[in-house]
Amino acid sequence: MKLLIIEDEQGLCDNITKYFNEDGNICESCNSLKSAIYKLADYDYDCVLLDIGLPDGEGFAVLEYLKAQMKNEAVLIISARNSLDDKLKGLDIGADDYLTKPFHLAELKARVVAVFRRKVFNSNNKLIFNEISINLAGRTVKVNNIPVILTRKEYDMLLYFIANKGKVISKNALAEHLWGDEMDMHDNFDFIYTHIKNLRKKLLDAHANDYLKSIYGIGYKLFAE
Amino acid sequence: MKLSAHYNKASIIITISVLLTGAIVYFFSISYFATEQFDHNLKDEFGELVSGVNQTGKLPDHVDYDVDQTTIVKIGQGDLPIRFFDTTFYNPKQQKIQKGRAVSGLVVLKTQHYIATITISNENTRYLIQVIGTITLVLMVGLLFVLFITNKYVLNGLWKPFHDMLGELKMFNLSDHKGFPLKQSKVEEFDDLNQAVHSMSLRVKNDYQHLKNFTDNASHEMMTPLAVITSKLDTLIQDESLKPEHYEQINDIYAATSKLSRLNHSLLLLVKIENNLIDDAEPLSLNLLITQKIKQFQELILAKEMEVSETLEEKKIMVSKYLIDILLNNLFSNAIRHNVNRGKLNIKLTANRLTFQNTGNDQPLNAETLFERFQKGQKSDGVGLGLTIVKNICAVYNWETSYSFENSLHTFQITF
Repeated sequence: MKLLIIEDEQGLCDNITKYFNEDGNICESCNSLKSAIYKLADYDYDCVLLDIGLPDGEGFAVLEYLKAQMKNEAVLIISARNSLDDKLKGLDIGADDYLTKPFHLAELKARVVAVFRRKVFNSNNKLIFNEISINLAGRTVKVNNIPVILTRKEYDMLLYFIANKGKVISKNALAEHLWGDEMDMHDNFDFIYTHIKNLRKKLLDAHANDYLKSIYGIGYKLFAE
Repeated sequence: MKLSAHYNKASIIITISVLLTGAIVYFFSISYFATEQFDHNLKDEFGELVSGVNQTGKLPDHVDYDVDQTTIVKIGQGDLPIRFFDTTFYNPKQQKIQKGRAVSGLVVLKTQHYIATITISNENTRYLIQVIGTITLVLMVGLLFVLFITNKYVLNGLWKPFHDMLGELKMFNLSDHKGFPLKQSKVEEFDDLNQAVHSMSLRVKNDYQHLKNFTDNASHEMMTPLAVITSKLDTLIQDESLKPEHYEQINDIYAATSKLSRLNHSLLLLVKIENNLIDDAEPLSLNLLITQKIKQFQELILAKEMEVSETLEEKKIMVSKYLIDILLNNLFSNAIRHNVNRGKLNIKLTANRLTFQNTGNDQPLNAETLFERFQKGQKSDGVGLGLTIVKNICAVYNWETSYSFENSLHTFQITF
């Protein structure tokens, strides 16, 4: 996957690049509206991560440029503004998703993968991870062609782990992904443990490999060899 | 009372008093001058009588004097000045007692003294005064009628630009894109007012926009560094050489960061609510929303093995979906987080109130400061803005919030 990160905060930009690059993706970054338009004019990308508040203008201009040039990049807005107006405006002029800062890199990765998949594999909505096959449209999971019934949270978690395979995911990030920030789950990670335990058990019962590992004290990781 | 009514009242009072005063002045001056005239005539007649008596050397006959009554009465010696007075007399022609004016004086005939009294009718003058009174009354009624018509059709028309402007002001909404219209009218004062309101609305809209921008900027400025911290931590934990004690530190940083971010979100939300930046009210069914929320919080409820009872009546409200969601979230997390294991949660919704009752700490909370910012229980690790947000959302819709503690149940009530 070829990515363009348009973000003026250097520290954030570097970390996103690093996090995405390890997975065999190609990441490029720029920190202003002007350089973003230059890059988009010269190259094609699969996905664009777009910050709205750029030093030389609003990121919406990138969306308008892409629309005018009939380019087909998937765009995910990463904005510090949690305003409904911005969200609607962004989605209205062609963004595929909107993520509010601060976010976990795992969350960003999962969203980018989902957006990219929607855009590119529109017809083929099957996600295969070794012996696990997921029908994204029907939200069903099969292991070695045997259906496994997962709850909504377990299913969400499985997708999240696969998108972030090989990465340590903190309990914080998982909790925010599963419950959102409004539910105040911050003081209670036991629920995550229960869900992980159930998911792992269901996958093992269906004779899948034991991919999910607990990283003591911090979170979990899906090993992909 | 309307301005036109005030105006009517004043003009009616002034009209009536001016006309009445006029009528009174008229009456007195006419009667004064009429009396003067009578007295003058009577004096002349008396003079004629005296000179007649002096010339002829005898008292005149009654026949000489027609309507005017003359009586001559013999008296003893004495001196008597001429005096004029009002009196009544019998008019033989009309055969009734009439009011009149009389003069009496001394007539001397051959050393014999007489009092001569001459009376003339002043009925005609009285008639004149009646006519004047009637005319005044008719004038008064006519004037009032004209005044009434003028006010009703002319003055109300004059006030039309004002009422139009008032209508526009009532409809004025800060967050609308439509500004306050500049309108020309024939009245200079209304034009001035319109101009002033127009420029004020522009200024207010401008300030409002600044405020909105500030909210956005504040959010941006704080959220970006938080995003940097989070992403650095996310990257840091990928390092396999980290030891469990490092993880412990990292977890604490994660917790603090997420708390800071929630605090920031809450503060910005409060600013937004207080400045009425969220105004996407739509009709929603509160009972359905609560049922959904119970489902959403099911996991937490089950984990604490709480007993939830709900009595929900059908209730439709006009409210922003976003705000009511936050309101319910806060009420639910509050009631669950501060609850004890195997505790109770009673939710009751009627047409005019929503009540959350939950078990918890056996001490009542301070109802006065409970809804204030950063007031939180000792064991709470929330940011202390939840109930403030609840209260402020309620304030947006003019709902009342209250807290009470009865039968070991903390009761939060919203009255619509």
